[in-house]
Amino acid sequence: MSPKPHEMGHDPAAVDPALVSIPHDHPWARLPYVFAACGAVGVLASLGLVWGSVVEPAQFFFSWLTSFLYFLSLALGGMFFVLVSYVTRASWSVVVRRLAESAMATIPLFLVLFVPLVFGMHALFHWTDADAVAHDHLLQAKQPYLNTTFFVVRALVYFACWIGIATWFLRQSRLQDHGDASGRITDRMVKVSAPALVAFSVTVSFAAIDWIMTLDAHWYSTIFGVYFFAGSTVGIFALLILLAAAMGRAGLLGGTVTVEHFHDLGKMLFAFTVFWAYIGFSQYFLIWYGNIPEETVWYVHRTEGSWAAVTATLAWGHFAVPFLFLMPRTVKRRTGLLAVGAVWMLLMHLVDLYWLIMPVLHSHDAHLSVVDVTSLVGIGGLFLGAVLFVLRRQPVVPVRDPRLAESLSFENV
Amino acid sequence: MSTIQEHARPAFALEPPLILGGHDFHSITEAVARPLETKPGRGWYACLGISVLLLSLLGIQTAWLFWEGIGIWGLNNPVGWGWAIVNFVFWVGIGHAGTLISAILFLFRQKWRTSINRSAEAMTLFAVACALVFPGIHVGRVWVAYWMFPVPNQMSMWPNFRSPLLWDVFAVSIYGTVSLLFWYVGLIPDLATIRDRCGATLRGKIYGALALGWRSSHRHWQHYERAYLLLAALATPLVLSVHSIVSMDFAVSQLPGWHTTIFPPYFVAGAIFSGFAMVLTLMVICRTVFGLENIITIRHFDNMAKIILLTGTMVGYAYGMEFFIAWYSGNPYEQFAFVNRAFGPYAWAYWTMITCNVISPQIFWIKKARTSVLVLFVLSIFVNVGMWFERFVIVASSLHRDFLPSSWDYYTPTMWDVAAFAGSFGLFFTLFCLFVRFLPIVAAAEVKGVLPQADPHYDETPRLERSGEPVGGGTH
Amino acid sequence: MPRMLPLVPSLPDSASGYGLLARYDGPGVLLHACEQVRDAGYRRWDAHTPYPVHGLDRAMGLSSSVLPWIVLVCGLGGAAAAFGLQTWVHERAYPLVISGKPFFAWPAFVPVTFEVGVLFGALAAVFGMLGLNRLPMHHHPLFRSDAFGRASDDGFFISIESWDPKFDLGRTAALLERSGAASVERIES
Repeated sequence: MSPKPHEMGHDPAAVDPALVSIPHDHPWARLPYVFAACGAVGVLASLGLVWGSVVEPAQFFFSWLTSFLYFLSLALGGMFFVLVSYVTRASWSVVVRRLAESAMATIPLFLVLFVPLVFGMHALFHWTDADAVAHDHLLQAKQPYLNTTFFVVRALVYFACWIGIATWFLRQSRLQDHGDASGRITDRMVKVSAPALVAFSVTVSFAAIDWIMTLDAHWYSTIFGVYFFAGSTVGIFALLILLAAAMGRAGLLGGTVTVEHFHDLGKMLFAFTVFWAYIGFSQYFLIWYGNIPEETVWYVHRTEGSWAAVTATLAWGHFAVPFLFLMPRTVKRRTGLLAVGAVWMLLMHLVDLYWLIMPVLHSHDAHLSVVDVTSLVGIGGLFLGAVLFVLRRQPVVPVRDPRLAESLSFENV
Repeated sequence: MSTIQEHARPAFALEPPLILGGHDFHSITEAVARPLETKPGRGWYACLGISVLLLSLLGIQTAWLFWEGIGIWGLNNPVGWGWAIVNFVFWVGIGHAGTLISAILFLFRQKWRTSINRSAEAMTLFAVACALVFPGIHVGRVWVAYWMFPVPNQMSMWPNFRSPLLWDVFAVSIYGTVSLLFWYVGLIPDLATIRDRCGATLRGKIYGALALGWRSSHRHWQHYERAYLLLAALATPLVLSVHSIVSMDFAVSQLPGWHTTIFPPYFVAGAIFSGFAMVLTLMVICRTVFGLENIITIRHFDNMAKIILLTGTMVGYAYGMEFFIAWYSGNPYEQFAFVNRAFGPYAWAYWTMITCNVISPQIFWIKKARTSVLVLFVLSIFVNVGMWFERFVIVASSLHRDFLPSSWDYYTPTMWDVAAFAGSFGLFFTLFCLFVRFLPIVAAAEVKGVLPQADPHYDETPRLERSGEPVGGGTH
Repeated sequence: MPRMLPLVPSLPDSASGYGLLARYDGPGVLLHACEQVRDAGYRRWDAHTPYPVHGLDRAMGLSSSVLPWIVLVCGLGGAAAAFGLQTWVHERAYPLVISGKPFFAWPAFVPVTFEVGVLFGALAAVFGMLGLNRLPMHHHPLFRSDAFGRASDDGFFISIESWDPKFDLGRTAALLERSGAASVERIES
């Protein structure tokens, strides 16, 4: 863990911001609007499908929830990356941190996208059904926690916390671009990042419990929050690799992100893929071994009918194959190959969330619906549009970060 | 138009030195070799004496145990597992910090690990040795303990590979083996250093034999560094898996308080928590006794305290999540297990655990606490006490009152339980005392590698930009 | 990649003895000297440093180590063997119904499989490294030099063996001196 920036003997004379910003006439400057338009189309199509009774309301809300959580997990993953970069005083990650900050900056958008889910609570959560609760002593026992008011209040708390953290870190990072070269801003961010991480871990865990685990309110798992977190870390590293690769190819990074940084991003993607598998297997294994019906029923649902194939896809595609693919050094140092791996992992992360959520709606067979696609395009378009919009507004590399100089010279072993 | 790469600066030009006191390569050699070449003080003999006494207590206890049987311990029905397994998990947990420092911090390129990794790895080995004592002696019929290994025999008997207790046998013995290999590989260059200082003496021959003829060749260093990286990459998942497997001793059951999915990562976090505390305890003593304050600096302690705070918080998260889910589950047995822990007959153990593990490490949010040797030392002891109690609470409180009230009972250790535990400290400190006397406790070659002048481009960098002479002010 | 050094340096006696040993003051000057020796076309030579100097691999023209492949093969092999053993034991050799699960309870085989894979990988890493380095080799002509004792302390050296085709006592010594050596010494066989 490196020392404080203002103790360092180097004046971080700023990198010329023009070298690392998206020019106004560049095609990428127009991309946010393109994505936002796609997003709007997707959202409208999804709404149209449910209003026009082409799909069941329940299907709409489940699809919306899946896409919502998928892209939110990327935004939260971005927050995790930023906070951990500060708390560990990492220098290698400085050149890609703005990309993660931009992902994190989209969280207010998700507060808006959450609204449909509030309307969909009755379709999503059977514990909102007063009749069901009246006949179920377990649901009655859980009522102090599982009631609509507390649920919404908790959601607001999570978002308040996340938006608070995201806004503060974004503002500090932007401030740093404009003049304070002493490193005091970085010091402040390092100090705040530690308690922020504590708040992050608690809110993300309970958000996962509230929004995914309670879909099946009779089931429980103490590791569930960690599992969702693990998936989001895989997602963010895959996203960072893709963003950096695409922007690098478009000449927008000014050569700051080198093969050394991709190597490290690749290592992290590998490591968190293994971490995800470890958490996922822990949960499965302990429930399998104990063989208690109250717990195993959740996995039984996910091995019925075609869900068995989805489970197998996760085991092989989210772990075994990427484990072997991402292991060799050569793959991590060839941006093209690494980008393929990143795309694959983003796809697998979507399958993971689908596998978590959809069996509650389609209990005997996996069943893809058109609104799955439209909500994905909708929320995804808005998310990507927002990310690129934020990226456009400032240099894509934190030009006055005290550790930027070290990050530029970074070499892997 | 300036290019980006003009702004690149190497790390050594930006950081103040890790190693203080203006050390160069030769002075590192001297500082590390000195304890091996001078006669030990009375303090060392005192430590060794007490340790050997405790070790003999372990020996006596074990002999009596083999003769009389497991009944000399306080086990009963329903508490069939007592201090022995608590001690086993306690020692294995402590061992994990060593591997974390050696392997995981290496993968994260944390150069500050080089001052403490040798001692930490040694601590791992000795802790694993202490841990293995307990499953070794508790089987009852020790003379057929070899049945645990998959050796073909005339009875067509095989071990039950599906039992977590057998996974433990594999996991902990493999962990011990790999840790030993990792430690020894790291020692080779330093053994060569000691050998070259000894000349043609018996000491020189022994160190020389162990140094395998190492001649500091860069062709060798190349393979060596690859091996070190591969061992680190293997040891990382190993350490995570070993304590996860140990947690499965409990988690694969159906017992409330045991059967919960968060156990694997929770146990790993707890292991690192207690292990770092033990490393801190040992390093506070060693650096003063051996005059290594400039190599094992306050900054190293600051970093270790932060890791203790981090892992302690993770443990606290697990406590909270277990408690919440126990309530949420609506399962009366689960809920009772947690209420019983906090307010039942073992409440004294539970609150000790909470105070030591959750409350006391919070002091490390304050920088002054992280950099005060006294606070660090006291806290490290608290943490280890707390972590022992955590395992005790898990084992005893869950077993003594499970599903059937008519089976409820209370577990009290006998003097032989206590003797075994105290004796295990004897084994640990005996080995550690021998280690500091005969082997270099700092990885000298690695420390040399993190000095700023170790970088071949150091001489070419303008003097003003070198470490230790900050431009624009600033304090350490 | 030059051919591996022999198990024991027992090549035919050379009139020039074992070779030359040059000492340098620091890692920077050693790095540049290595580049010169590499560029001059020498193959049977080595650098000696108290810690691994960053960038020396390239300066010496070394190709990357084959050790990762050895470790991968051994690790996967060990894991496969362990999984196979458990499957055989629980399905064929002594099948028992344990906690109501099927005989081929593959999740329960994972822990031991993983651990044994890691063990074999680690053994491969250590013994592979020792094998590639031809260690232990307790006797070597370089140990005869008094100056060489500093290689494990704070000395930086280059040694060139006399069996190298380009070796010539006078010219090689001159090259080493030109490259910035603090001292050049001849080592007997």
